[in-house]
Amino acid sequence: MKEGYMDCILVVDLTTGRIEKRSIPPRLKEDYVGGKGFGARILYDLLPPQTWALAPENPLMFFTGPLTGTAAPSMRACVVTKSPLTGTFLDSYFGGSFGPEIKYAGYDGIIITGQAPEPVYLWIEDQKVELRPAKHLSGRDTFSTVQLIKEETRSGARVACIGPAGENQVLLALITCEYNRQAGRGGAGAVMGSKNLKAVAVYGTRGVAVRDRERFLAAVEQATQEVRTSPDTKALTESGTAASVPFASEVGLLPRLNYRYGTFTGAVELSDHGQRKHLWLKNAACTGCPIACSKVGVIRSGRYAGTVSDIVEYESAAMLGANLDIADIKAVTYLTHLCDALGLDTISAGGVAGFAMEAVERGLAEPRLNGVELKFGSPEAAEQIIRAVAHKEGFWGQLLAQGVKRAADQLGPGAEEFAVHVKGLETPAWGPRGCAGMGLAYMTADRGGCHQRGFTVTYEIGGVPWEGKQLDPLSPYGKAGMVISLQNYLAALDTFVKCDFGGFGIIPETYLNLFNSCTGRDYSLDDLYRLGERIWNTTRLFNLREGITGSQDTLPPRFVREPLPDGPGKGHRISDQDMAVMLEEYYRERGWDQDGKPLAAKLEQLKIEPHQKLFTI
Amino acid sequence: MRTIILTNFDLCTGCQICQLTCSELTTGAYNPRQALLEVLVSQDGLVHRPVVCQQCQNAYCQAVCPAGAVSLWDTIGAVVIDPDVCTGCGLCARYCPLGVIRVEPGRGARKCHLCGGDPACVKACPTGALEKVVVGRDI
Repeated sequence: MKEGYMDCILVVDLTTGRIEKRSIPPRLKEDYVGGKGFGARILYDLLPPQTWALAPENPLMFFTGPLTGTAAPSMRACVVTKSPLTGTFLDSYFGGSFGPEIKYAGYDGIIITGQAPEPVYLWIEDQKVELRPAKHLSGRDTFSTVQLIKEETRSGARVACIGPAGENQVLLALITCEYNRQAGRGGAGAVMGSKNLKAVAVYGTRGVAVRDRERFLAAVEQATQEVRTSPDTKALTESGTAASVPFASEVGLLPRLNYRYGTFTGAVELSDHGQRKHLWLKNAACTGCPIACSKVGVIRSGRYAGTVSDIVEYESAAMLGANLDIADIKAVTYLTHLCDALGLDTISAGGVAGFAMEAVERGLAEPRLNGVELKFGSPEAAEQIIRAVAHKEGFWGQLLAQGVKRAADQLGPGAEEFAVHVKGLETPAWGPRGCAGMGLAYMTADRGGCHQRGFTVTYEIGGVPWEGKQLDPLSPYGKAGMVISLQNYLAALDTFVKCDFGGFGIIPETYLNLFNSCTGRDYSLDDLYRLGERIWNTTRLFNLREGITGSQDTLPPRFVREPLPDGPGKGHRISDQDMAVMLEEYYRERGWDQDGKPLAAKLEQLKIEPHQKLFTI
Repeated sequence: MRTIILTNFDLCTGCQICQLTCSELTTGAYNPRQALLEVLVSQDGLVHRPVVCQQCQNAYCQAVCPAGAVSLWDTIGAVVIDPDVCTGCGLCARYCPLGVIRVEPGRGARKCHLCGGDPACVKACPTGALEKVVVGRDI
């Protein structure tokens, strides 16, 4: 194999223990390339319609792309499954070294179905694949699980695992891909837990070869240069994403008090400034990444002394810090580390904690948890909530373990007013009021409230012109084209599988050079956008089939009814009228009908045949 | 004079680009595990420590090789394995104090040869954690 692929997908049925090695159907490779593409199409083909996400039939899939594990800078891999949190397609990306290791063991992906009768972990050593008992690991945090599995298998093995939250099928549970690399969003960890699968450990000795070596090396050199010289990636090398905290506060998009406000006086303390002072010791990188956005370090003094942690990246700092009105960076570092250890998504954890604190403020529920008052500004309260959620303990743990959407339904009338989510996924830390296109990006993202499918803040507020024009961030008009273009482009790169941050520096033509020289294909820029569009329509077909409707392409009441009270976007909201304008434009430009269903002509143009399965098991 | 690769572990991010580059150059495919240098991780990921062949002046690999396949390449001071003479017995790898010699069945032993004096890993390292230095007096 000399085209970036290993030409094998590992299929494991946990119910029967059957293990199969399957080649990749040529049409699948042709039309969907890898990563998100493989995931989108295979999930559509394999999952019986409207299956509950925590049922054994829901496949849990790890996919690499043709560039994963090569020297192409900053590549990753992904987990794809149906989300138990949203009921939608879910793709969640992770860096580190687990993705490349899947390829070194000889596979492009791993598909796991069924449910083991007892807790197990999957051990893959090149061609040798076995299920091992994992009862002794039950209840263990992610860090010690990784350590113990390495001791039981090989010290060089790479491990993906769940913590107690995943075992307890908490809908905010993540899959950790050591160390501090998470397939975080949408509850993939709960799916893993529902299968009684504690971990996947991989060790591989095979190499990944490319088709045209000379061209590939030249493209790697070019991409590396672009990453080294881009101001955006240089900033990430310097400070990771932590420097975005003061930026977001300045432009009024930093959530505070459960998204009520958009600015925070503690922003600098939470940023690279505070972290450099109290935490960081050095830069760390994922396999094959020259950027090294990670900053590892240790809290040296005070109550949380001895906490070894990675950078508190922007989303965690904002959601567990600003959103909860906590400015103490040491405390926020500890809370982030606690989520990592218990296996909880920090974005959703910050979302449910903010929701709980506001519910208490409004007198809607029990104000205390283990004797601690659940109030904004209290790290102790946040800690109690995180622990209770991970273990589904007591009223609060059970309520919040389902995410804010279900929690609001359960708490009763009025609670949905401050439940901040899209399609059930707690929104990330870019409150979109004052940045209309970002609102549309949230409304239409295939996995629910997500900022990574199209980040329009760069163009609407960051000062970068879009197609030569400076956009009015407040206007709902003319935003759909930008959102669609970004969604298609990023979905295409997610087949390779890119890291968002590499994409800040590497230009489209260079990605194409990497891909074409690696695979021997001859993709043009148009082909790349068409690939993304094909994926975006495939995930849309999936979501519609699972019962999602166009009426769910909407924003939570907080962003629609409540004008932002502070910052440059003060007085602004994204009204029903704004949403209608943007969505109408969006559906039309997507070639979808007024209910958001892809039209037959669009599917034909993209060569999508929904009823002809490309992959079966 | 001899050339060695100096490691500045404090600058190493653990990105493994050195290993990716080395594996591709020496085997034709990417896998850090096939590279002729290591990156060790300790203290929960706080420390990354590159380990490279020191081109020892008292080279155990050379001393234990029963076939006489290991020799000193005078021009740069690298200790190299002659693949035509190597029998693949693995003694060099077994007694390498740093564990940076690879032996795969049917392939013979492989070790760092400094890419002939211009090591690719040093060029690829994004942080300067690997440095090429020339030390000592004329041999």
